[in-house]
Amino acid sequence: MKDYALMMIGAALVNNVILARFLGLCSFMGVTTRIDAAAGMGLATTFVITVSSMADWAVQHYLLAPYGLGFLRTVTFILVIASAVQFTELTVRKVSPQLFQMLGIYLPLITTNCAVLGIALLLVEGRMSFMTSTLFAFASSVGYSLVMVIFAGQRERLAVAAVPRLFAGPPIGFIVASLLAMAFMGFSGISTG
Amino acid sequence: MTKGISMAATGSSGDTVEGIARVVHTKDGVIWLEPEQTTSCGACAAAGQCGSKGIGSLASRIEARRFVLHGQQDFGVGERIVIGVGAQTLLKGALIAYGLPLASSLIAGGAVQAFGGGDVESMAGAAAGLAVGLLLAGFGARRLSARGELAPRFLRRAQPGESCSGKDEA
Repeated sequence: MKDYALMMIGAALVNNVILARFLGLCSFMGVTTRIDAAAGMGLATTFVITVSSMADWAVQHYLLAPYGLGFLRTVTFILVIASAVQFTELTVRKVSPQLFQMLGIYLPLITTNCAVLGIALLLVEGRMSFMTSTLFAFASSVGYSLVMVIFAGQRERLAVAAVPRLFAGPPIGFIVASLLAMAFMGFSGISTG
Repeated sequence: MTKGISMAATGSSGDTVEGIARVVHTKDGVIWLEPEQTTSCGACAAAGQCGSKGIGSLASRIEARRFVLHGQQDFGVGERIVIGVGAQTLLKGALIAYGLPLASSLIAGGAVQAFGGGDVESMAGAAAGLAVGLLLAGFGARRLSARGELAPRFLRRAQPGESCSGKDEA
């Protein structure tokens, strides 16, 4: 249990998808203008990353590895991720059309989110068991959502702050992002060994 | 008949998240609306061309998100109005739609592994947990809907030039 906890803390905070691995930066800058949008995007991404990582693990271990098709890994994972997004979209629409109308807007954007593919490829390198890889993917996506919401909160405050004209908009956003990355570097002092 | 609101629309004001929608049809006090914003990147309908819209055409996606408002009079086709839902609704909805199935899937998969199951058994457990979670999400969404929390409210008519970013387009 302790091993799982340390692995999840490491994936979420120490090796944060956005601030340490620099994945998912498009959505990090694009969908963080409001906290509610960032939270919606974060939860949708967490769901898709975890579900697609389960499918990717199965595809890797029962199809690609046994038949020596490792060279097809990237394209296969992209297909799996796109299928997972479509599955999620169809399921949410079926479960509740109202929820789909509120939340479905975030799903297409996830298909092109490199964090989803990046985590799937990291799982293959890690050679983990099914539940370990699923928990790793879940923790990584929770770290992604956490940073999205924190950054959205900061940008909401920046929107009403007196920022010098030269820095207004994206420039101050990038400066704040770099400060946030430096703050997260503090987590690298945590011993997970 | 669907009710709902595209939340990735304008902005927030206090406890309400606002969005702009265009009236596409009216009949007997019921109006059909299409949300103006089409992407979650904080941009307007024009950004539907940005390539982030994924599978399916822009038109079909907008049509899929068409919704109705009841008891509204005096609106003409093509008119733009500002609608809103409670600020907590989006988070609550996302937790129900995504959080619940995910939690049940992880718990079921973890429980199977804890009781000595291997990878295949854990995978089957996680899939079963996901299915159960989706069923629970359906119940949760129906409860929210029955309480009227998912229904958008008419707030005001949109100002000329008011855009999905809440600023003048000029």
